[in-house]
Amino acid sequence: MGIEEDNIEIISSIRENAKKLLSEDQVDLVIGYSEGTVPLSSTPVIIRKAEDVDKLTWNNLCYMNLARYLAPLMPQLCDREGNALRIGIVAKGCVARAINLLAVEKQVDLKKITMIGFNCNGIVNRSKIDLEIGEKEILEVVVSGDDIIVKGRDWEKKFPYDQYINELCKVCKVKTPSTTEENCIGECKELESIHDEFSDIDDFEAKSAEEKWDYIKNILEVCTLCYSCRQACPACYCNLCFVDQNKPIWFGKTTEYRDIFTFHLIRATHLAGRCVACGACASVCPVGIDLNFITRKLEKIVKERFDYTSGLDAETLPPMMDFDMKDAQEFMLEED
Amino acid sequence: MDQKILKKDQIGKLYNEFAGEYDFYAPIKEKGNIVFEKIENPEDIVLDYLNSKVPPKSVLFPQEEVLFEYTLDEKNVEITDRQNLDQKILIFGVRPCDAYSFELMANFFSFHGDWEDEIYLKKKENSTIIGIGCNTPRSTCFCTSVGGNPFKKGDMDIFLTDLGDKYLVEAISDKGKEMVQKLTWLSDASKNDLKKAEELAKKAEELIVTKIDVDTVVKNLETNFEHPVWDEISESCIGCGSCAYLCPTCTCFDVIDETDHYNNRGRRIRIWDTCQSCLYTLETSGHNPRDTKIQRCRNRIMHKFSYYPTNYDLLGCVGCGRCVAVCPANNDLRVILNKIKNIEKKEDEKVVA
Amino acid sequence: MTETVLEEKKVEKDWEPKIIAFLCNWCSYAGADLAGVSRIQYPPNIRIVRVPCSGRVNPYFIIKSLVDGWDGVVVSGCHPGDCHYISGNLVARRRFAILKELLEFFGIEPGRVNFMWASAAEGERFAVLIRKATKIVKELGPNKKFQREWC
Repeated sequence: MGIEEDNIEIISSIRENAKKLLSEDQVDLVIGYSEGTVPLSSTPVIIRKAEDVDKLTWNNLCYMNLARYLAPLMPQLCDREGNALRIGIVAKGCVARAINLLAVEKQVDLKKITMIGFNCNGIVNRSKIDLEIGEKEILEVVVSGDDIIVKGRDWEKKFPYDQYINELCKVCKVKTPSTTEENCIGECKELESIHDEFSDIDDFEAKSAEEKWDYIKNILEVCTLCYSCRQACPACYCNLCFVDQNKPIWFGKTTEYRDIFTFHLIRATHLAGRCVACGACASVCPVGIDLNFITRKLEKIVKERFDYTSGLDAETLPPMMDFDMKDAQEFMLEED
Repeated sequence: MDQKILKKDQIGKLYNEFAGEYDFYAPIKEKGNIVFEKIENPEDIVLDYLNSKVPPKSVLFPQEEVLFEYTLDEKNVEITDRQNLDQKILIFGVRPCDAYSFELMANFFSFHGDWEDEIYLKKKENSTIIGIGCNTPRSTCFCTSVGGNPFKKGDMDIFLTDLGDKYLVEAISDKGKEMVQKLTWLSDASKNDLKKAEELAKKAEELIVTKIDVDTVVKNLETNFEHPVWDEISESCIGCGSCAYLCPTCTCFDVIDETDHYNNRGRRIRIWDTCQSCLYTLETSGHNPRDTKIQRCRNRIMHKFSYYPTNYDLLGCVGCGRCVAVCPANNDLRVILNKIKNIEKKEDEKVVA
Repeated sequence: MTETVLEEKKVEKDWEPKIIAFLCNWCSYAGADLAGVSRIQYPPNIRIVRVPCSGRVNPYFIIKSLVDGWDGVVVSGCHPGDCHYISGNLVARRRFAILKELLEFFGIEPGRVNFMWASAAEGERFAVLIRKATKIVKELGPNKKFQREWC
């Protein structure tokens, strides 16, 4: 298999396509990933000239969802008058899903966006590795063959790649942008629907309410309410987030467990049918909370109830923007 | 300065000696992250760490803090101020950068004596800091560039040097000397111990590889408010505020009134806030002077490296490197400072926002 | 990070749950009125909040009620197809489905939050369903774990 070889191919295809787009003046700029300055990270970067394409790279640490910079549109992506420039964006499957979602919700103009598509081979799970290494300092992370090699000052540790990628990446079915060829250069594969089973959370669902409460409390207790997850999410683009509202104040912002719980519960409600399962929220969390757990549940709800997966095309309305006379209502209270 | 030795297995004894009188705070491991919490059991203390995730500012300036409470009855409002500000606090295991941050925060909370925040200043007066020098600084540390040192002793009351299986104890301030005198069971340090400590100090300083020319940065910031470099610097920032939350010198807070109308009482609390939040400068009129990311990103750098020097003649950054390690978009502060250092004068270009 | 701990609410033998009910003005509220006029007895545990349509009910209302200490929540609207505003209850039905699944996932007991349809002519049905909801909530006990000390 060779993740390492795949990465070399991906890097060269991204650079070639970006060079083509810029030198043929099809786009004004390209957003992509560049090498990070600390281990286990990568920096989003904007390049404007074909000579700079060598700054673009791909390693399995590109966890940021670049569609996040499209809504609200960053000033760096607009011209002097504030109109959107033509943007080329390095798109793995979930970034393309997010762009499709934003297009359906009329937040971006697909005509101005060109995706540089490729087959994503997964993102390394930073918090899992941090937890295993503990308090030693990590100085370098490389993917070699089929292993992740983590190096410190005088030690080295190997992790099997398959087990140490994000939980979402392990079950991902949309690794390549799902879009038409007119929006994409490079790899792309239009999907109408995907087949997904949710055995990974079925065990959890079978527990009692008390056990679920305790389990979720155990995961969410350390949250410092820094809102990095909200900021990194491409679907969270509200001008005024519900926690910041003060006319009226709906929910508290302290780190009492009930406030933490309420924030994550309501954010999940707002993301139902819109979450694109990119895993950025869990990767950016400074205290390493596994938010992918909640993401899988959101995917399950809309798949089982409405047979819908977000972001596969730019036309289908998400379930919460629509309604049907024939919706299931087995959860309603009925006379015996 | 009489030097003593504290063996690592005597830390429990140290705890028992002071736990009655003081609130004893030390680093513990909570779900994989090192944080400073009040210790109930000395076995929980973790000392084999590089630096804590959440800085010890959370001890004196907690994430949420009650300012006062009030109750209502038919005619009267009764306000109860903060109690227990006289409680003595002992913070154990603080790194030199974080110890210095307490001094910097005291500047903010008193502003040359004009506006004194009683709550923070009183707590600081009643706290004793026992710090430990950094034998192996992280690669993201740069305290030597901002006037610090992995073995800087001046801001602590007692300074410990990790000599392997024991600590060298040095009392620095008067409070520290008094405390060390109470610990009559400490053994004396030998000449070898002192020599080893010096060697460790020298080695630690050499291990810090990041060197930033902060003087040029401060000078350039005075005249380049509108420079287009800020476009580049803020492009990958997502405005999350993790840098501010985990920064030992960031002190911004929001004040919220919470009312329990079912029981006719209420309270005013303050919680950590961040200038990176888009609503931070939203005024009641609806105008927001910093409504773009570029302005907010710029504000943070200016605050640490330009406004602080102007107001207090001190740099607002202690070089701990937490912001570098935690930033989700890897917007490395060291790279930013380098870009600012390399600014050349360009007359007619301005930032987009 | 400290957590404020509520005093244990003593569960007396005759503890009665407090349930908040969001009723849509055109069907369910009128249905409750009809139950009252017809002298049909139903438990007095519910406190009614009139909304113009079940589609007005925001998930914030439901969650804030639980955070404020209400033991149960009932939301009632017109039958699908009969909404005074044509499609308000259809929009609401999807919202309720998502909310109910997520609440159960996060560990809130199923049964604390109930959704139902009751039309203006169904006074008897309204009473029967409220009786059922109150029984369910009473069995679950007081809402201790979700209530915030300072609401």
